[in-house]
Amino acid sequence: MFNRLQTKLTVLYAGLFALALSLVAVTVYLAIAGNAQQTVRKELAVSGTVFDRVWALRTQRLRDGADLLSRDFGFRSAVATRDAPTVESAITNLRQRLGLDLAFTVGVEGDVIGLDPALLDLDKLWAALDAEDGAQGVFVIDNAPYQIISAPIMAPTLNGWIVFAAKLDDREMQALEGLSAIDLDAQVFDQRNGQWITTDTSFDPERIGAYVDQALQARTHEPELLKAGRADNLVLVKPLKSLSQDGAAALVLRYPMAKAMAPYRPLFAAVILAGLLGAALVVVASWALSRGLARPIAALDAAARRLQRGEDVRVEVQTHDEIGRLASSFNLMAAEIRDREAKMIHQTLHDAETGLPNRRALEREISARLAGAAEGEQVIISAVGLDRFPFMRGAIGYTLATQLIADLGERITAISPGLLVGRLTTSTLCVVSNLTDLAALLPLIDRSVQDLERPIRVGGERVDIHLTHGLAATTAGALDAPRLIEQALIALDQGRAANRKVMLFDPVAYGDPASNLSLMSEMLDAVTTGALFLNHQPKLDLRTGQITGVEALVRWKHPTRGLMRPDLFVGMAEETGHIRALTDYVLTQAIADQKILRAAGHDVLMSVNISGRLIDDADFADRAIEQVTREGARLCFEITETAVIGNPEVALAVLERFAAAGIPVSIDDYGSGLSSLAYLKQIRADELKIDKAFVMSLEAGGKDALLVKSTIDLAHSLGMKVTAEGVETREALAALQLMGCDLAQGYHIAKPMGLSQLTEFLGDWSIDLPGETETAALRQA
Amino acid sequence: MGGDALAGSLTVTVRGANGKPVSDAVVTVHPGGQPSRGPIKFPWPYRVQQQNIQFSPFVLIVPAGAEVAFPNLDKVRHHVYSFSPGNKFELKLYGREENRIVKLPTAGAAAIGCNIHDQMVGFIKVVDTAYAAKSDASGVATIADAPSGPVVVRVWHPYLRGPKNEKVLPVTSLGGGATREAVTIELRAPAAHH
Repeated sequence: MFNRLQTKLTVLYAGLFALALSLVAVTVYLAIAGNAQQTVRKELAVSGTVFDRVWALRTQRLRDGADLLSRDFGFRSAVATRDAPTVESAITNLRQRLGLDLAFTVGVEGDVIGLDPALLDLDKLWAALDAEDGAQGVFVIDNAPYQIISAPIMAPTLNGWIVFAAKLDDREMQALEGLSAIDLDAQVFDQRNGQWITTDTSFDPERIGAYVDQALQARTHEPELLKAGRADNLVLVKPLKSLSQDGAAALVLRYPMAKAMAPYRPLFAAVILAGLLGAALVVVASWALSRGLARPIAALDAAARRLQRGEDVRVEVQTHDEIGRLASSFNLMAAEIRDREAKMIHQTLHDAETGLPNRRALEREISARLAGAAEGEQVIISAVGLDRFPFMRGAIGYTLATQLIADLGERITAISPGLLVGRLTTSTLCVVSNLTDLAALLPLIDRSVQDLERPIRVGGERVDIHLTHGLAATTAGALDAPRLIEQALIALDQGRAANRKVMLFDPVAYGDPASNLSLMSEMLDAVTTGALFLNHQPKLDLRTGQITGVEALVRWKHPTRGLMRPDLFVGMAEETGHIRALTDYVLTQAIADQKILRAAGHDVLMSVNISGRLIDDADFADRAIEQVTREGARLCFEITETAVIGNPEVALAVLERFAAAGIPVSIDDYGSGLSSLAYLKQIRADELKIDKAFVMSLEAGGKDALLVKSTIDLAHSLGMKVTAEGVETREALAALQLMGCDLAQGYHIAKPMGLSQLTEFLGDWSIDLPGETETAALRQA
Repeated sequence: MGGDALAGSLTVTVRGANGKPVSDAVVTVHPGGQPSRGPIKFPWPYRVQQQNIQFSPFVLIVPAGAEVAFPNLDKVRHHVYSFSPGNKFELKLYGREENRIVKLPTAGAAAIGCNIHDQMVGFIKVVDTAYAAKSDASGVATIADAPSGPVVVRVWHPYLRGPKNEKVLPVTSLGGGATREAVTIELRAPAAHH
């Protein structure tokens, strides 16, 4: 609800103060109200006592008068002799003298003198007078309550009663009220026909009448708090004797609490006013206090946000309290964050070993240049590779080699200040050129190549260095930074491959590696579409002149790219793990083709190339052996010698299993790789195929002929047959024949061909092998 | 005593509502309900003396027209009066003397008092029959020579609750010989000063 600290604090303090004040006000009010009520109670009780006394005094005064008259001989004589005029005049005389409201006589016979008998209930009065000597009490005359005092008239026996009556009217009550210290309200209630009646109707007579009933029954002598409507009244009921048997009367003393509380009103007003004033002060003070508290926090809050956005922030420290310390800590933290961030940025953008900008820094710079490049302007970079770095590192040690790279970076910067030089790989630096035109740059590079290759002195020794420069350039929108760097690195590779010092990226030579993966999935599709197929190159038995075998070669006629080069997609399949699926296809197809050839009457050994990647795959071996055995095929697995080198134990065991299953193994391309006699000895092979590189130059004589001859002899001595590949001339054929070679394969005999063509070829096959004369001639040569 | 040849005695026992005997009740017999003819003479003295600030006797029966003496035996003076209709008199302050005489002409009860001493109250029952008697301390009133024949017998007492402080007995005739009657009367409390 309150999002601001300041508001929260202000509301809290003001609320607490208001609460405390309310408690004080309520306590004060209750105490005062209780006190006031107590005072009024006492006063009412005192008034009640005073009233009793006043009532008694008045009764006595009236009685004295009545007694006096009743004993007067003349009066008694007049009453006894029924001398009404005399009686009346005597009564009137006394009434005036005593200031009475009413005075009359009631004879024992019920005759009334001095008052109209119709004004009162004579029977009740007579009964009351007769019941008690000198009866006194409240009696209703002419619908108004009177205090009645009577005295018997004895002459000498009872002749009647003299009755004095004082009206209990408002005037009388006011006189009584005047006797009290407090401004109470006195009124007389009398009961007629069960109804409480009073002349004073100033305050809810019905309610008080009901209470009088209750108080009389309960004989309550204490003032009670009577709630009538919204007004509280303290009420004391004093029972009065009634002369009427079925009647009752009471004096009711009432004091409104509001009047009792009236003197305290100014005090209350003062308390409330002081409270409100205090609350206002608290609000202002706590507002100011919390503002002092909240403002630095708000400042810290804002600063933290700015820090979050990466801005440089510093909070002003104003105090030395907790908040001040917090601000100091914040500043310290912000500074440390800045430092760390700078360090991290430096680390992320620099090579830890050399301190040179790293690849990310280079990419950033290139991106910035590309973004700022104008139309037609080029961004040119050069990947400067230190040639034969691993050897150099092996020679001079890791630390010095790294130092060498750093020094080389410095050298480039020194030659052309302002260039950005960063480290791309362990042995490669990258230079971002300031020039925007490749044509202008190339001569500069050519000129500086010599200078850059001066020997570098590290660790006190001169080290010769050789550099290759791979250049790549792009305009804005063509390449992004990573691609440009990639091209520069490729250009470096291309330059090294082409043995050139400076090489511009050659997109044609590079092709499109991105399409390689999709090419593989297309290759798998090609199995089903028939785009993948086998061509077979016949192998000639040099002793019989018969075609005794063929080498199955996989071919792929790509729907859009045409006939694919096998070394391209086979190599790719090896690199991407698709070689197994490809080999499965070749095996299956070779077996199928062999069946067709057999059906045509040509039983030839079918050689299949097995990739080195599969040789140490026991699972593959299991399936291949199972498949060949099941189909009753006659296959020969051609492997390269190098295939065994990776994991010789497994590979040799697999080859043993092939041999055990009756599948001959041929060592392919012998002599082109790292031919190891140690492995040759171990490989359980049936055939050795001499690489065409040796065979093709055979006819020129010299060393190759000697190598071939000795290889043939070596193989034979190891129990292997020998096939020569790349036989393209009759002379070569003859030479091989002379050397004791077992089989020949090459364009001279036949190019690789499709199955139908092969069938036809085999049917038509005949050869005139070089005769003794030819070989003899060769031998002579 | 002049009267009917055939006479007997009438004894009336007067009791209050509480069963206690009532003294000073006056029983009168009116033969045929009529007043007696000829002069009436009772054997007791017709006098009410004032002694110890009291009237004595408290109740005195006298025939109509009798002269009643009011001797003052006290050392103080008295002012004796009666406002009873027909027998109204006043003996103004007089001292110790015995020659004050008042004639009471009218049958009825005369309440007598002293204007000086309110506590002094006495009654003189003035009758017009020769047959009257006052109950003694045991509440018994005896009329020795009561006439036989139809009679009206009344009992009177100064504080008897009833018209004229009288009550008529149910007996309507008397035979010869002794007749015994009992009557219960309701008494009013004596007035305040007594």
